Amino acid sequence: MSLLEAEHVKAYYRVREGFVKAVDDVSLHLDRGVIMGLAGESGCGKSTLVNTLMLNIRPPLYLIDGRITLDGNLLSKMDKQTLKKKVWGVLVSIVPQSALNALMPTQKIIDLIKDIVHAHTDISDSEIVSMSRRRFEELNLPVEALNMYPHELSGGMRQRAVIAISTLLNPKLLIVDEPTSALDVSTQKQVLKLLVDLRKAKIIESMIFVTHDIAVLRQIADRIAIMYAGKIVESASTDDILYNSKHPYTYGLINAVVTPEPEVRKRGLISIPGEPPNLLKPPSGCRFHPRCPYAMDICRREEPPLVEVGEGWTVACHLVASGRR
Amino acid sequence: MSPIMRFILRRVGFLFLTFIVFMLIIFALPRAIPGNPLSTLLSQLFQQAQANPELIKAVYKRLMDEFGVGKPVHIQFIDFISRTLRGDLGTSIAFYPRKVGEIVAAYLPWSLGLLIPATLTSWIIGNSLGALAGYKRKSAVDNLMLPVFLTLSQTPYYWLAMILLYVFAVNLGVFPIGGAYSSGRIPSLTFEFIADVLSHYILPFLSIVLSAMGGWAIGMRVMVIYELGADYINYADSLGLPDRKLLRYVFKNSMLPQITGLALSFGTILGGSLITELVFNYPGTGYLLFRAISTLDYPLIQGVFILLISTLLLANLIVDFVYAYIDPRIRTGYLGE
Amino acid sequence: MVSQLIRDLLRIKKFDLSVAIFSSILIIGLVGPIVYEVDPVKMIGPPEQPPSEKYPLGTDSYGRDLLAQLLHGIRNSIYIGLTAAAISLAIGVTIGALSGYRGGVADSSLMLITDVVYALPSIMLMMLIAAYLKERNPIFVALVIGVTSWPWVARAVRSQMLSLKSRDFIYMSRMAGLSDIKIIFEDLIPNMASYIFMAFVLLMSGAMIAEAGLSMIGLGVTRGVSLGIILYWAQLLESVRRGIWWWFIPPGACLVALATSLLLLSTALDEYFSPRLRGG
Repeated sequence: MSLLEAEHVKAYYRVREGFVKAVDDVSLHLDRGVIMGLAGESGCGKSTLVNTLMLNIRPPLYLIDGRITLDGNLLSKMDKQTLKKKVWGVLVSIVPQSALNALMPTQKIIDLIKDIVHAHTDISDSEIVSMSRRRFEELNLPVEALNMYPHELSGGMRQRAVIAISTLLNPKLLIVDEPTSALDVSTQKQVLKLLVDLRKAKIIESMIFVTHDIAVLRQIADRIAIMYAGKIVESASTDDILYNSKHPYTYGLINAVVTPEPEVRKRGLISIPGEPPNLLKPPSGCRFHPRCPYAMDICRREEPPLVEVGEGWTVACHLVASGRR
Repeated sequence: MSPIMRFILRRVGFLFLTFIVFMLIIFALPRAIPGNPLSTLLSQLFQQAQANPELIKAVYKRLMDEFGVGKPVHIQFIDFISRTLRGDLGTSIAFYPRKVGEIVAAYLPWSLGLLIPATLTSWIIGNSLGALAGYKRKSAVDNLMLPVFLTLSQTPYYWLAMILLYVFAVNLGVFPIGGAYSSGRIPSLTFEFIADVLSHYILPFLSIVLSAMGGWAIGMRVMVIYELGADYINYADSLGLPDRKLLRYVFKNSMLPQITGLALSFGTILGGSLITELVFNYPGTGYLLFRAISTLDYPLIQGVFILLISTLLLANLIVDFVYAYIDPRIRTGYLGE
Repeated sequence: MVSQLIRDLLRIKKFDLSVAIFSSILIIGLVGPIVYEVDPVKMIGPPEQPPSEKYPLGTDSYGRDLLAQLLHGIRNSIYIGLTAAAISLAIGVTIGALSGYRGGVADSSLMLITDVVYALPSIMLMMLIAAYLKERNPIFVALVIGVTSWPWVARAVRSQMLSLKSRDFIYMSRMAGLSDIKIIFEDLIPNMASYIFMAFVLLMSGAMIAEAGLSMIGLGVTRGVSLGIILYWAQLLESVRRGIWWWFIPPGACLVALATSLLLLSTALDEYFSPRLRGG
């Protein structure tokens, strides 16, 4: 049974020159208990997509079209006040990309926690304190951090504190947006372990993990969706994506991981020549065709349909649709 | 040593250094400027002393002594600093034989009494309005207020003072046309006298409040807009924190830089209000400075500036204390400055 | 879409408006004295005449023509503003660029100097210096304003420099063996051009207001007219209390219009050069 269901979601940035189609007709579903990785190059719209999935959007980003259902609630029809009261922090939480600066700088961690909990329930301050201490202990975080200011914590510690705060009220779904990109390797490991522990301890049910680093997903994700230029091009189990990928883009992305050059690994996908397209005027037909080594005529003209090629395995590519791959 | 102590000590050291540099400037200017104003003044006095022996001779002798003419420069400077630190600001020429310190002391309270309340009032009103404009960015309120702030911030205090004086005192006759109290009244703690002082106070006060307000409002507006888009606000928002809580966060963090701004702007506001005093014939240091300048009373000019700068540096220090107390990042030694 | 369009128009309008105000006053100041050939400091009629056909802006207590004073005053005030801003900019950019580029001891000592000067209010330093100058021609006044107003520019340029310095192309130049001064002036400063122009605009409005302030306290130019000098005479001869509004309103209004248009211009440029678009 699925926890999150998104159908034909479009979310555009409105700019002077028109619309930047950062999320363009994306459908996605996430089962309970699943950790899904969402991968793609910088600027492909993955961060916009996950924020749109919980309706955490603000101008100039607008939800243009689509239906988003989370745990039986139709989020796409809710107004912001209802979302804030009933959904955010309770049903779904996000660990933002900029988690290092995400904590209110002139307030102790515990005071931020109090404000957040008070926004949703009526428990007393002392209960909040003991609850937070218990949770921090459970997650092997130093309890003293609660009485500190954000700047007194190290980067990795701040990151983990944000994760703990986001999951304090046991949301069903946790969205983590590039949680490891600013961290060194050992801190990355701690953060990944913390995320796995959260599901083990049944604090959260499901997770969407956004990254440009496929190697990280391999350690944590059950499924992986690959995004390119505002669209999901392939979605399958982690093993299928890693070893049997059908889409030329996915293939290139995986290859980028095995290149020894750190610069390439850092950016995710320079092993494919060319640059991601301008989403203000995306290419006609398949958006990947200008960079695709196998591009055919039809790729320039028509958008490839999303085809199911196996159990829970979908691909949007004319090569696959026409049976050549 | 606690971070807060370290911060305060460093600020005290810095302000003391600034004071010394300022004294050096004051000391060097009359001696170094081409044409040597000091020796010009002295030779003029010397010539007059030939004609009018007693008084001028006494002035001349006192000045020669106080400026340490004939001694090596570094001795002159050390004498100058040590005399100043002991509170001796020299003797006025125009008011001879009164001491500079004593003259300025009579005028300074009026200036401070005008400056401090006006600055704080403009700070509070300006920041509140600026926060409102920033919060309602691009709305009708903001579109109306911003041009007003922009214009006010570029309006010289004394020109606004002239306009207010012309409209409310000269044309409408609602307020007195100048001074700190009606001539003929003797300062006392009676109700009549206080009411009289207040009625003289309103226009100068208003002109400083209004023109200083624009700058605060513009600064606060930008801060609020910036903080509203900050990561920590987006995060707290995404966890469902109510809007009024978010606004409190924004307000708190936007306010902190404005407190430092308060210290930095004292000087500019003081400069502006000195000239405002002229417009209202208000018996403060601005008025005194103007007279000292027009009579080339160098010791008095020096003395006014030394007292004003000392007051300012002291005010800076007070603001530093307040800031260190309010911002937890200073308390825990995170922010250096 | 529509509100976006309106927003864009507004943005351009701000720029248009500021340029229109500033340049029209500038042109009046440049062309005015040539077209309107009346000596601003000569007695040409009866004193304290209100505006009339013969004396468009009236006369002052010495029977001097106030329109002529205003035209010359605008010209001199803008001249002083430009010169002072150029001086401040030169000092501020040099100190800020050196400090940010070099780092280390040079940086800390230059910034200490900057902070000390910053803590001393520039208007007071100006008054102090000007008080000792017997003859004050416009260049002197501009110099006095210029050498006291640069600290904030130095601080701002330094922080810009720090962020630019780490970019690739600077690294390349350094690898190519170019000298520091060459890199600063050929690579870094051109990249801050828009920023430096904004600083110049703000310095200029500040300098014109400072000129008026100096004049009011009796420390303005000793020969010739400026907007501040007109206000000074108006103040000295009690024009406000005697209701001679045509004496003190026009010069002040011109000053406010000039300074505000410059501030508006810098605001418009700021919005244009630092758009707040966050990508996906």
